[in-house]
Amino acid sequence: MAGSARVADGQALTPDGSAPAPGGSRPVAKRGPWRTGLLLASPAIAVFALLFIAPLFMLVYNSFRTQAGAPTLHNYTRFLGDSFYRDVLWHTLWIGALTTLGCLVVGYPFAVYLRGRSPRARNYLSLVLLSPLLISMVTRAYGWLVLLGPKGPIADGFQAMGLEAPKMLYNDTAVVIGMVHVMLAYMVLPLMGSLDRIDPALTPAAKGLGASGWTCFWRITVPLSLPGMLAGSLIVFSLTVSSFVTPAILGGPTVKLMPYFVYTEATSNLNWPYAAAIGFVLIVVTTILTAVYARLLRGRGGKEVFA
Amino acid sequence: MTAGTDTVGTESAPTEADPAARAGSTRGRLVLKGIHKSLGGKEVVRGIDLTMEPGEFLTLLGPSGCGKSTTLNMVAGHLLPDSGAVEVDGRDITRLPANRRSMGMVFQSYALFPHMTVAENIAFGLRMRKVGAARRSRRAAEFLELVGLDGMGERYPRQLSGGQRQRTALARALIVEPDLLLLDEPFSNLDAQLRVRLREEVGALQRRVGTTTILVTHDQDEALAVSDRIAVMAEGAIHQLDVPETVYLRPATDFVAQFVGEVNVLDGTAAGAAADGHRCRIGGTHLVTATPVGTAPGDGESVRLYVRPEAVRVRALPEAVSGKGGPATTSAPAAAEPGLPGTVEATRFLGTRVRCVVATAAGRVEATLPFGAEVPGLGEEVICAWQAQHASLTARP
Repeated sequence: MAGSARVADGQALTPDGSAPAPGGSRPVAKRGPWRTGLLLASPAIAVFALLFIAPLFMLVYNSFRTQAGAPTLHNYTRFLGDSFYRDVLWHTLWIGALTTLGCLVVGYPFAVYLRGRSPRARNYLSLVLLSPLLISMVTRAYGWLVLLGPKGPIADGFQAMGLEAPKMLYNDTAVVIGMVHVMLAYMVLPLMGSLDRIDPALTPAAKGLGASGWTCFWRITVPLSLPGMLAGSLIVFSLTVSSFVTPAILGGPTVKLMPYFVYTEATSNLNWPYAAAIGFVLIVVTTILTAVYARLLRGRGGKEVFA
Repeated sequence: MTAGTDTVGTESAPTEADPAARAGSTRGRLVLKGIHKSLGGKEVVRGIDLTMEPGEFLTLLGPSGCGKSTTLNMVAGHLLPDSGAVEVDGRDITRLPANRRSMGMVFQSYALFPHMTVAENIAFGLRMRKVGAARRSRRAAEFLELVGLDGMGERYPRQLSGGQRQRTALARALIVEPDLLLLDEPFSNLDAQLRVRLREEVGALQRRVGTTTILVTHDQDEALAVSDRIAVMAEGAIHQLDVPETVYLRPATDFVAQFVGEVNVLDGTAAGAAADGHRCRIGGTHLVTATPVGTAPGDGESVRLYVRPEAVRVRALPEAVSGKGGPATTSAPAAAEPGLPGTVEATRFLGTRVRCVVATAAGRVEATLPFGAEVPGLGEEVICAWQAQHASLTARP
């Protein structure tokens, strides 16, 4: 918001600056619109600073303190020096990656399918897609608990076929299934936006030049939907690695992820600085990973796709 | 190929063209046999029969929804006809999928691949045909030059102007040496001046490469300027298929007359053959001449006359005659040339021409006065006349 206000100022200034006005009055004229813009943006800036920047700053600040308040690096050396915590970090990122992949694999065909439907059908199908978000996270997770449990319908199905049901609960599989269910909408919606922006004539154009349907898909549709894939992946990954309820219920005692340790450090051990350090490590690692991912996806010609 | 220096495209198409001889091509003979197609429960193409000679430039001209684009898409293989056959060089390709036909198509939106450079776009068809990278880039460079985009191969479509995108699309379609070049309203996204320049360039290029070409457009000026033949379409059927001159000067149906160019429509009765055409009585007494389209009507039959504003000549009526208000045909100067008397109702200055509206016994007649002609005053008594060959005559619908 502040940025756009500044751009508008710049345009307003140009004719002003070129006018042969006496030097004395010019600084006033120049600062006037700038100030107006800043003033107009100030509520947004205030909210942003108060709700986003200040808490982050406090988090970082606290993570470099002992519980008594003295400055220290101990929280970080403890986390990074302990293979247990490093494993938790890898495990968290692994679950995040699997969930992102799962959402892509399930969501992409869904988004492509929606692209060809009538607006009415799209509305209904989008509603279905969004329905998991309308239910409480706890309720939804318990639903999966029933479905995936040893006496659930899926296990019954295996038994009916004379097979032994695999263990489907309290492991990575359960967590990833539960997370994909919730996160699918966050993947499909940006993908739909991206697919909608592709000129529908591109596929016939490619076919006319000799491309098969499969080639059209890989050479035209997929590269041009990369922005949606990127946006969806970033949202799904960040939300998954920081989610608490679904992994806690479906992962049981064996799947313990970063948010769980932030929670226990803060509430059970009352070690807020260490909780802050764990949280900040997660933020930094996630940011680095998403930046690398974005760079990889953009690749060659990406500038045109993302423009 | 630069605009202005190339005058080939600006020539109005000669009489019966022999495109095959001109371009020396022997490939790309298209035959459509009884094509029908319904879309969404509505029959949009109702029995199209068409034969194109190799190297010919044919335009499907008609208003939106007349089935011209649907027809083109069936030739391209993007749509399957409900019945009928598409043949190229004697081979039935009706059921052949688009990617296994050899059609170069240019879309209204150009449909350039935004994530590929201009050179990659142009070479896409070769890539699909598994042509090696070295030969591909050499051919792409040749075609970049052909369409006047030398040195722009590394740019992306977004960085090109509308005209440059259009040329890229054209090069991309032509590089695969297609049996047919299909142009789907390719100029409609360009501004008026560029449109005229590019259509001339495309016309000249087509004559040079000699690829059989179908242009789909709703712009009659475009159709008249570039085509060897024009198929005027309405409601899924071809109303007239002929060289531009004939379509313009001798429209076969009421629709063609009204759609292609401006026209004066006059109703009258046939009054026997004359040396240069057919006589026709308008408003009961005034005799004019016209050329019948198809069979000549019998005497006394109701007929309709079509005459273009630019074919109508307006002369002042001699004092003596206008005073009496008698039939124009009896006056001495008008006797050599029959005509329709009337009163000048309005004159409009249109830059290069002056449009004159004359109220006659048969309704308003519009005439375009040639450059430098004397403009009659408002309310002046005049006589509107034309040569028989410039007016067409049909049975009244």
